[in-house]
Parts: sequence; structure tokens; C-alpha cells
Amino acid sequence: MPNKQTPKSQWGISYGELVWREFVKNRLSVIAGMFIIFLFIVAIFAPFIANDKPYVVEIEGQRYFPLFRHLGAIDYGVLLAGVVAVVQLILIRRNKKRVDPSERGEVLLKQIMISAGVIVVGLVLLYLFVPRRLDATNYHAMVESGRAENAVFAPIPYGYARTNLSVREQPPSRRHLLGTDDVGSDVLARLIHGSRISLSVGFVAVGISVVIGVVIGAVLGYFGGRVDFVGMRFIEIMMAIPQFFLIITVVAFFPRSLLNIMIIIGITSWTMDARFIRAEFFKLREQDFVQAAHAQGIGLRSILFRHMLPNGVAPVLVNATFGIAGAIFIEAALSFLGFGVAPPTPSWGQMLSLGVTTTGRFLWWLSVFPGLAIFFTVLAYNLVGEGLRDAIDPKLRKAA
Amino acid sequence: MSFNDKLVTIQGLSVEFYTEEGIARVVQDVSFNIERGQCYALVGESGCGKSVTALSIMRLIPDPPGRVTAGTVYFNGRDIYKLSEKQMRRIRGKEVSMIFQEPMTSLNPVYTVGDQVVEAIMLHQKKSYDQAWVDAAEMLRKVGIADPEQRAGEYPHQMSGGMRQRVMIAMAMSCRPDLLIADEPTTALDVTTQAQILDLLDSVKDQTNTSILLITHDLGVVAERADKVAVMYASRIVEKADSDDLFAEPLHPYTRGLLDSLPKLSQRPKRLVTIPGMVPEPLSFPSGCKFHPRCPLGSDDERCKSCEPMLREINPGREVACWLVKGYESEQERKEYERKYGKNHERISAQR
Repeated sequence: MPNKQTPKSQWGISYGELVWREFVKNRLSVIAGMFIIFLFIVAIFAPFIANDKPYVVEIEGQRYFPLFRHLGAIDYGVLLAGVVAVVQLILIRRNKKRVDPSERGEVLLKQIMISAGVIVVGLVLLYLFVPRRLDATNYHAMVESGRAENAVFAPIPYGYARTNLSVREQPPSRRHLLGTDDVGSDVLARLIHGSRISLSVGFVAVGISVVIGVVIGAVLGYFGGRVDFVGMRFIEIMMAIPQFFLIITVVAFFPRSLLNIMIIIGITSWTMDARFIRAEFFKLREQDFVQAAHAQGIGLRSILFRHMLPNGVAPVLVNATFGIAGAIFIEAALSFLGFGVAPPTPSWGQMLSLGVTTTGRFLWWLSVFPGLAIFFTVLAYNLVGEGLRDAIDPKLRKAA
Repeated sequence: MSFNDKLVTIQGLSVEFYTEEGIARVVQDVSFNIERGQCYALVGESGCGKSVTALSIMRLIPDPPGRVTAGTVYFNGRDIYKLSEKQMRRIRGKEVSMIFQEPMTSLNPVYTVGDQVVEAIMLHQKKSYDQAWVDAAEMLRKVGIADPEQRAGEYPHQMSGGMRQRVMIAMAMSCRPDLLIADEPTTALDVTTQAQILDLLDSVKDQTNTSILLITHDLGVVAERADKVAVMYASRIVEKADSDDLFAEPLHPYTRGLLDSLPKLSQRPKRLVTIPGMVPEPLSFPSGCKFHPRCPLGSDDERCKSCEPMLREINPGREVACWLVKGYESEQERKEYERKYGKNHERISAQR
């Protein structure tokens, strides 16, 4: 609803845009960011890239779509979320050109609500209506024996859980580009599906830790005094315990599910976020605009999270990118040690641990490729984090 | 009690700050009234308790360490220290609003100025977002921002100090408050901008019948605009008068010192007169009259050193707190003093 009475032509650029402009100046970070986007695309489309079910197959003259029938609710849900996210990004770009800036916030909020609604409703519907179909048919064998015809397979025609003991522990070849593991699964297929685990662990764990850290840090920083004293001692106790050993101990007591690992990493790594936010809030609460907000009669929650938080969130965002790298690393390390997700689920760390067999042989392709995947992903996140930090730093100084 | 014309009634207000070094009595026994449509000036050097007095009207003294230990503040007939925090929030910004000394930091750097004015409008008034934007632009135009629709979309760092102070005024006036507290509104601005901002405050006051509590250390600012003046020194009001009377005949030696410190256009330029010394720290106030170590009269009156003078009305509408002012001490006190010390000395006459 464009406002006729107050046409607004030229508008200042926002803080986000300023940071973005600084960020894109850093080539390495941009490349790293593109790599992360690439990883996301791979993760979203993993079942379409690597799958032992063909897209299309003709059996006895009848056409089937085994791959699409075989996908579960989560696969479709991830796909839906990915599509909605892309649409949302396009909408945000469009908003900048088409929507009046005074309404941009409102419009954006509406769009995000609709997007979130679509995803939630979509997930519920998918859960209700997509049945879990187990399809143990070996289409490769059917094609070879001539029972199935005109099969169109995915680019990597192996599923992550497909075992084939006749081809176990094979080095990279034309059939298996990155070799096979101890039960004959294709390493590349597992690597591709493993990206889903790594990325979701990174995001969910850091999401949990940022929420906890921001709320605790905000309260400590704003109220100070005794609240802060008690809270800081608690944080120091948390920090004094080596995080990794704490996680291992906790993991030993809980079932080894992906969600548990995410939550455990999340609730053990919020201390840095809390300290950053606390320090920022100490500085911010003395600022005149906070005083002015009080004088306007704005409520405490709004002052804390609407007025102070956006001014102090930059270091946490930077820390979050490093945190994602850290979480991916921790998950890989846990899986490597055997505390991670259970075996059929592909995890880079767990694949890495298969490199040395029980008989003592070293299967280099099982160590190098998952190792490189972990290395590049962690490196990319760190580079993006560094780029963000550099982009935000001078702005912080200007704002202070 | 009738509060028909009295918007703010402060009686016996005392504020203390509990610090590690001890209890700082920052405001002691301060009383004054602000009437509707009046410009009331609170004058004094830095650190004499002006700002704390103003904050206590909004109940914004940071607690801890500060606390209002005595006194009442009536606003629009309500004792604001008996209201709940929720009720208080409804008063802040709607009935009393405040502009601060530092326009450079009083606006939130992450939102456009338009957003901030809109927030101020929507917080206390039931208005649609679109309507609030129209009002915000109108408000910005009123405070003299040219092309407000465009400038509303700018961020605070894109504006000059004077512009930002105008935005602050627009925000403060957006709900047509009954009282506007201006805490040194021009101190951080260029001299040329100062006069503009003060004129702007004057005009919004006249347009909306808003009372203004003007806090300043610049008596020159006060002279033209205030209706009434209270001079504060080291946590107390030492002189209170109509603006015209005060400038015509300042009574308290501190007020005289402040006035003498102003450069005068009628004289050849020479070194400015100063009041020697500093405002004492609240933790180490001198005994007796707090001004006596700096008092230019250098009186040997024993009471100055030992007994703090309270504010007394010596003429209708003129209150002062100084033993040496003619008409301050009662006949009985004078006799008692002369009997005790056998001394007599000149009293300050009202005329200079």
C-alpha cells in the first residue's frame, strides 16, 4: 500500500547494506560464502544427486518413479524449505526496488510470517500424507537382468545406506569415484548425504546457543550488579569445564540421536555469546538513546531486544559463524570417536574413522575425502566469519 | 489541594546515591511548582543536581544506586511515586517527555529517524502505521526539517547535531505532552544552532501550551525565555524567583557570580569574571552554607560556616537561602546572633 501523501524517493542505505558492501570487498570470504551456498544446494538436493533408485523406470511396460516415491517427508520438507527460502530472498530483493521503505519492515515481516507458515503447514501435511515406503528393490540388478528398462538414474547411482559387500573397501575407480567403505557403500554418496548432517548440526546447535547466550547476556549486562555477579560466576564455571569432555560425558548418558547432539552442543557453547552480549549491553545501557527510550515510556523487553540488541548483536553474529564451524567440528570429532550418530546415518567424522580398519590397514580414500570435506567446510565458515568481522568492525566504531 | 494550574508540584524532594565511598546526597529538599504553559528554568553548574531533579520527575533515577528518599512529586494531580511501573510508562513520553543534552547519541543508530518518530507516535496513540508516518512527517516539518518525507528515511549518523536535536524535539512533542523536560538541549550545539533550537522550543511551547522545564548552566539562555528560575547549587535550590526579578536584582551571591560570569556587550571586552573554586563533591560537602568556601563576600558571619541556610521567602515570589541577604534572618535570629557573637555586619541589599 504505497503512501500517496508522503512519497519517499531517496532513502539512506541500511546498516545491513553497509556491512554487505564491506563484506563483498573481501574476495576470499565471498568465495567461502559461495562454497557454503554450494554445500547448501548439495544438502537440499542430496537425494536427487545420489540415490540408488532411478528417477524413472519401466517395468513390464509400466512406468514407475521409484526415487520420488521413496523420498520421505523430511526430504520433501527440506526441499520445500529450500524453495521457500529462495523465493523469500528474491522477494527481499524485489522489496528494495518496489516497496516503499517506510513499509518495508512491515511487508518483510508479513512475508516471513507467510513463508514460515508455508513451511510449517507444508511439513505437517507432508508428515501426514507422505507414507514411509521401504523399497528394497535392487533396480541395478533389475536393469542388468533386463527386467527393467529405460531407467534414468541419479548422477551418483548409489544410496548412502546401500551396502554391497562384493565391492567393499575399493579404492576410487570409475564406478565409485571416491571408493567404497567397509560395507561397500559409495563414499561420494555418503559424503553428499553427510553434508545434511554437518550443516544442520552447525545451524541448530548455534541457533540454540545464540538464543540462550543472548537472553542470559542481555539480562546480565542490563541489570548488572548482583545479578551479573552470580551469572558471571556461573558462566565462568561453565567455561572452566573443557567443553568437549563435557559433551562426551553428556552424550554417554543420552541416546545417540542427531537432535540430542545438536542440543548438547548448543547448551554447552553459549558462554561466549553471553559474554559478548553482556559486554555490549554494559556499554549500551549507559548510552543516551537507551535513556531516551526509557523516557519515552518504552517497555523493558522492547528496550532490551528492539533497541539495544540490534546495536550489540554484531559480535555475536560473527561469533556464530565461527560457532557453526566449531559445531561441525565437534560433531565430526564425536562421530570419529564413536559418540556420534548411529552408523547407517552418514556423518563425515564417522566416515573418517573408518580410514583405519580393525586389521590395521590404512584406506586413504576413506580418510582423505571426508577429511577434506570437514576441512573445507570449517575453513569456509571461518573465512565468512572473518569477513563479517572485518566488515562490521569499523561500523561498530562509527556507531559507538 | 487544587492542581488546576499547577502541572508539576515537587515538595521536599531528596535523592541519594549509594556509592562505595558513601552516601551522596545529590538532591536535598528541593521544592518547586511548574504551571501550565510555563517555562521553568533550573540553573546551576555541572554536578549540582539539576539533571537528577529532572529525572526524578520521570521516575527514571537509576535504582540502584540512586533512590528518592524523601518528598513527593505530583504530576497532573497524581503522586507519581505511588503509581505502578506500568502506569508510569504510560505517563512517560505521553504526558512528560524529555530531550537530552547529546543529540549525537540520543537517537538509536540502527533505525531511521522516521522509524523512531513513528515509534514514539504509535507507542501512546492508537494510530495506523500509515497515519503515524504522515504524522511523523508533519512533526518533522514542524520542527523545521526541510523535506521531511525524504529525511525521515535517513539514519541519525547522516544528520547534523542540530538536525538530530530537532528530531528529538519532534519525538518528544509527538504526543503533545503536558511537560517537556529539556536537559541542556543546546549545550552540544553550535552557537548559531543554539538560538534556533531555543526559538523552536519556544514556539512549540506556545503552540501546544506545553510547559517546559529548561535545565541549563547558561543564564543567557534563561533570561529571554524562562518565566521562572530556580538556581541550584550543590544539591539545593539557593534562589527562586520570577525571571525578570532575578535578572534585575539577583540576591544570592552565587546567582550574582553566575550573572557576573556572563560577558557583557555593554563593556569593553576584558577577562571574564569567574567564581573561584569548584562545585563541591556530594560526598564532601562543606559545613554550613555549601557556598561559603567560594563566596565572594567572604563574610565572617559564623552561621555561614556552621549553619546551612534554608530557602525562605523574603519578598512575595522571591525565595533565597543566604544569611547575608537583607530580610533573610528574622529579627529574633539577628538579636540572638548579635548576643552570641557580638558582631554586626552589612547585609546584601537587593539593589546592585
